[in-house]
Amino acid sequence: MAVTILIPAPLRRFTEDRAAVQVEAKTVTEALAKLDELYPGIRERICEPDGRVRRFVSIFVNGKDIRSLQGVETPLADGDEVGIIPAMAGGR
Amino acid sequence: MIRIPRDQYQAIIEHAQREAPREACGLLGGHGERIERVYPVTNRAELAVEFFAERGLIPPGRDYRPDAPGSIAVERFFMDPEEQFRVLREIERSGLDHLGSYHSHPATAAYPSRTDVELAAFWPNMLLLICSLAAPARPVVRAFRVYEGQVSEESILVED
Repeated sequence: MAVTILIPAPLRRFTEDRAAVQVEAKTVTEALAKLDELYPGIRERICEPDGRVRRFVSIFVNGKDIRSLQGVETPLADGDEVGIIPAMAGGR
Repeated sequence: MIRIPRDQYQAIIEHAQREAPREACGLLGGHGERIERVYPVTNRAELAVEFFAERGLIPPGRDYRPDAPGSIAVERFFMDPEEQFRVLREIERSGLDHLGSYHSHPATAAYPSRTDVELAAFWPNMLLLICSLAAPARPVVRAFRVYEGQVSEESILVED
């Protein structure tokens, strides 16, 4: 079950500048755990200590926000793409 | 110095004018110090009330409902996450780099607000273009980077 995790520019300092990382995982939670094994510290940028995705981060499986799927328990299949992006926001 | 083609520069201003009095927002693709293309993204500020509230970025007493008179929603932007992701992929697929973002200040100066500086922390050192419509006949676009709360300005050269 190889999936590709797409790393946003602000988190690439954890991944030796890699924009994409492949891991073996059956769920989003497992993918993030594997990513953190490879690049320690990256998961806490994405998730709260209890495992929930931080409010300013969105995670996508094949372009779909996991909030509209099964959250971090969303299952992954071979070849799936997991995208991660921090919010982009501001105001006057 | 940031370089940008005139039609893309103009596209930022026109997007800002279309969205006013709401803020317009979008992403920037290019190489190095040259912006090659701007990508409008839908502003979903009205759906992000908790996001702003938990950071203390909604002044007390202000209504957030988008249609309420004096709503704060018109003074904030929050890019639609799915669209933001789609556009970032499009930028990469077209061989460009994601250089940063732009947004408008419909009634205030083209300078990063406290909200802008705090939220730029998620995208350190990325380019931040701000288009001010405070003087409607004379839109102003300025370029900044924010790193660890410090704002630095870059000059813009519009290329014909």
